[in-house]
Amino acid sequence: MNGKYDAIVIGGGHNGLTNAAYLAKAGKKVLVLERRHLVGGAAVTEELYPGFKYSVCSYVVSLLRPEVIRELELPNYDLEIIPLDSTFTPMPDGNYLVRWGDHAKTRREIARHSITDAEAYEQYGQLMVQMAMAIKPLLGIVPPRPISWNPRDLFGLAWVGNHFHDLGEKLFYEMTKLMTMSSADFLDGWFETDALKATMSASGIIGTFMGPRSPGTAYVLLHHYMGELDGAFRSWGFARGGMGTISRVIADAARHFGAEIRTQASVDQVLVKNGRAYGVVLDSGEEIRARVIVSGVDPKRTFLKMVDSQHLPSEFVEQARKFKIRGSSAKVNLALDGLPNFTCLPGEGAHLSGAISISPSIDYIERAYDDAKYGDFSRRPYLDTVIPSRLDPSMAPLGKHVMSIFVQYAPYHLNNGTWPERREEFGDNVIETLSEYAPNLKDIILHRQVITPWDLEQEFGLTEGNIFQGELTLDQLFFLRPIPGWAKYRTPIKNLYMCGACTHPGGGVMAASGRLAALEILKAWKMRRV
Amino acid sequence: MQKYDAIVIGAGHNGLVTAAYLAKARKKVLVLERRQLIGGIAATEEVFPGFKYSSCAHLAGSFSNDIIGDLNLKKHGLEILPLEPLLFSPALDGNSLLVPREPAKIAEEIGRFSRADAAKFDRFSALLKKLGSFLRSLNDLSIPDAASPESFNLSELIKLGWKFHRLGKKAAYEFLRILPMSASDLLNEWFENDLLKASIGATGVLSSFVGPRAQGTSFVLLHHQLGESTGALRAAGFVRGGIGNLPQAIARAAQQHGAEIRTEVKVTKVVIKNGVATGVILQNGDEIAATVVVSNADTKRTFFQLVEPTYLDPRFLLQVKNIRSRGTVAKVNFALAALPKFKCAPDHASSANLGGVIHIGPTLDYLERAADDTKYGRFSKQPFLEITIPSVADPSVAPAGKHVMSVWTQYAPYHLKGNNWDAQRDVLGDTVINLIEDYAPGFKNSILHYQLLTPMDLEQSFSLTEGHIYHAEVALDQMFFMRPVAGWARYRTPIQNLYLCGSGTHPGGGVSGLPGHYAAKEILRSWPREK
Repeated sequence: MNGKYDAIVIGGGHNGLTNAAYLAKAGKKVLVLERRHLVGGAAVTEELYPGFKYSVCSYVVSLLRPEVIRELELPNYDLEIIPLDSTFTPMPDGNYLVRWGDHAKTRREIARHSITDAEAYEQYGQLMVQMAMAIKPLLGIVPPRPISWNPRDLFGLAWVGNHFHDLGEKLFYEMTKLMTMSSADFLDGWFETDALKATMSASGIIGTFMGPRSPGTAYVLLHHYMGELDGAFRSWGFARGGMGTISRVIADAARHFGAEIRTQASVDQVLVKNGRAYGVVLDSGEEIRARVIVSGVDPKRTFLKMVDSQHLPSEFVEQARKFKIRGSSAKVNLALDGLPNFTCLPGEGAHLSGAISISPSIDYIERAYDDAKYGDFSRRPYLDTVIPSRLDPSMAPLGKHVMSIFVQYAPYHLNNGTWPERREEFGDNVIETLSEYAPNLKDIILHRQVITPWDLEQEFGLTEGNIFQGELTLDQLFFLRPIPGWAKYRTPIKNLYMCGACTHPGGGVMAASGRLAALEILKAWKMRRV
Repeated sequence: MQKYDAIVIGAGHNGLVTAAYLAKARKKVLVLERRQLIGGIAATEEVFPGFKYSSCAHLAGSFSNDIIGDLNLKKHGLEILPLEPLLFSPALDGNSLLVPREPAKIAEEIGRFSRADAAKFDRFSALLKKLGSFLRSLNDLSIPDAASPESFNLSELIKLGWKFHRLGKKAAYEFLRILPMSASDLLNEWFENDLLKASIGATGVLSSFVGPRAQGTSFVLLHHQLGESTGALRAAGFVRGGIGNLPQAIARAAQQHGAEIRTEVKVTKVVIKNGVATGVILQNGDEIAATVVVSNADTKRTFFQLVEPTYLDPRFLLQVKNIRSRGTVAKVNFALAALPKFKCAPDHASSANLGGVIHIGPTLDYLERAADDTKYGRFSKQPFLEITIPSVADPSVAPAGKHVMSVWTQYAPYHLKGNNWDAQRDVLGDTVINLIEDYAPGFKNSILHYQLLTPMDLEQSFSLTEGHIYHAEVALDQMFFMRPVAGWARYRTPIQNLYLCGSGTHPGGGVSGLPGHYAAKEILRSWPREK
């Protein structure tokens, strides 16, 4: 149990597991240490109410890297993703809007609201796909250093520059706009139907501390458009068995390659001597040594808690402190004795098998954001809801259902009271909001789990409850993520690496960070830099 | 019919700069101005006898020194006065921030509120100054664009890359990081004192549609510090005799080189033959011919009013339509019987302390809340104010012992939801006056006269679409090669020989004169060959 390992991965989130799998596949002896009783981090399925399986935190997947699926041979382990076919936006005036996977059907539906929007939707979709394809390669590269004479970096910069140059003028300008505009402004240039714009711009604010009118949210529109489900760009889906399946499958792959995974093993400190990491100490006091230590947790937790500051340059510690990681999201998971009945589209229609978005207008979401800015949770929040049991009956008993409600905004820092004190009030408010559209909801709730940003931090190790391990603002992306000058998964401490969502390419269940970090580590190992 | 080399539509300060440079290059130039007065938004008007209001813009500290030198503006009567103090920010509890001009004393003043802030202020200012200087180099670059592919200059790009490296690793990373940041995040990283943060943060949102929490507002902050500045605070300046003396000086320079300036002449259309601009038509029906036509009007006005739409590609028109130019400021000009007495400590109560920028808006959240209102189509219930009292530094603009006070109030959106500016004019006026009264009791009683310019008034008086004093919002997606629209960043337009030279072009708004200067350079560089 205490034999020397080649690598220790701190945190069994999906990136940590991916990292371990790649290292193990390359023949390294790897140990993953996970504090909780199960691996998966924020991608877990838990049966908190008998018979009902909750995708506790993350609830949909789209961005899981195809190269990871391929290279780790994940299909061997029973991973099935069921596509979400629609997004249903109920409106307070009794009307509604549904967008389907079927483009023609969507056009007809949008045309109900606005004919010009229906036509624009087609062109918009084509443009977004083009831009997603243009940005996609950047997700797969290690960010070059912008200020470096190193030939690798110069080549990397030249590649990026050339890549954008090749986009051609039109796409280049659209990309520039997308990177700097607000999703509301960007969408205002295309559409007029408020509920349509609001629902689309909602993906631009997920996990952020911004509103749809905030510059920089149009970029995140693209981030969420880049999914690659079965070749159908942008489709989102459920993992059969819940999001935990994804983590379980990666863990299985890692074990298959020889990695060891320990749960209920909480790392307290990284051991460092002469500027080099050489092991970890658990809460229990147990010391485990390894040649390389990889942290799958965020930079604040890593550098301000697990590493003694005397080992780090003071400027680096300062930058870790400045790293913005404000959580703004929460989750409500419900066990239901039946299905919600939406007043504007009654019955158990197909619309209940997709996403249900409470986003009737841009102003609605903007007001929700305003509440959070000044230290309170949104009185009328944006909700992104799915009922996985509709497409995956294994998630709940027959005739019953689980409902996953993602809530925005819930600021980590509250001006009045604390999250534990206000958790139930928060949950009540979410139910209240959804009940305005589906009045039978309260009557069918069998069980409720409310996860506040505080809970995300306490239980899932996400500092300040930020689901992306760090805000996705322009000043914290690409070669600036997580710390300017340290975007290549390395740290000022030799043999200590980072592999979580706080590194490029950012958050979402992508497994990209875990993989890129592993490749960098293996490269360094080969070059005897380890 | 007499033919000119160039006609400049609009005698705003940029139009005059363009005219002066063209005239200096021996071109026969005619400037046509609709108003009685030249200068556009840099105008001094004696609306109330004896009191010279800076009707719109009140500071000219960002005006380019290069232009002042090239056109010999000092000889033509231009004198820009330094700000002293740099900043006065009163608080309701009487504890005000007074930042003096003298660098050594700045730390002392800031230290009264926070030792930590005082220790960092110099470094912050130095960093911003360094970054501002780099931004200026960036602005000076010839922007590559589709309209002029031959203009892509590899050597300039290399020079820029070199300058970037010369910043040093730390500053270079800071530039990349700070550029897209929100002013709130930037200021919260460095400082703890609210008043200091709010006073500096305000320059991150001047004339913007967003609040200080918005990404990109640090860029706007840097943009506003590109002129005379300590890095974090503007250091100049009133124009002696009133800001109108700036365009007057430029006009004299232009005329000295042979340019002709006509006022009270309205241009209704640009004459276009076979896709080429050949002159203009005036309101009275007269046609004047020219080889080149330059519009100082904003982009929307130019293409939706001065040019027949049939000559333009619908996609280009859509781009122009989508330019965000939502005005968010209103101006109030006061004639005062006496200086306002701000509630503050005795050592700050001297009138000399009102000679710089006076900022009212105590915290970043205050600014943010003021911005919230604008999103929903209302003007701020609690606006923030940028105030100057030019007569303190320059007594010539008011009768002895009396004063003119120039107030920008933000946010006052051009588009009001379910309302209009005629109905709201007085409510806004009262809001501003009552707010100042809160900070300086007795203010109301000292008012001899006031003039309120709502965004609609700004639009009508100064021909500014949607009342936007920068012609188009200064936001990251509307700057550099995206200004005025993507692909047309070099003052050229889809109409041959029709150019733009106003604030709506690169490098953006503020009284810098740079758009006018760069436009002239481009026009001369690509002057059509005679057949």
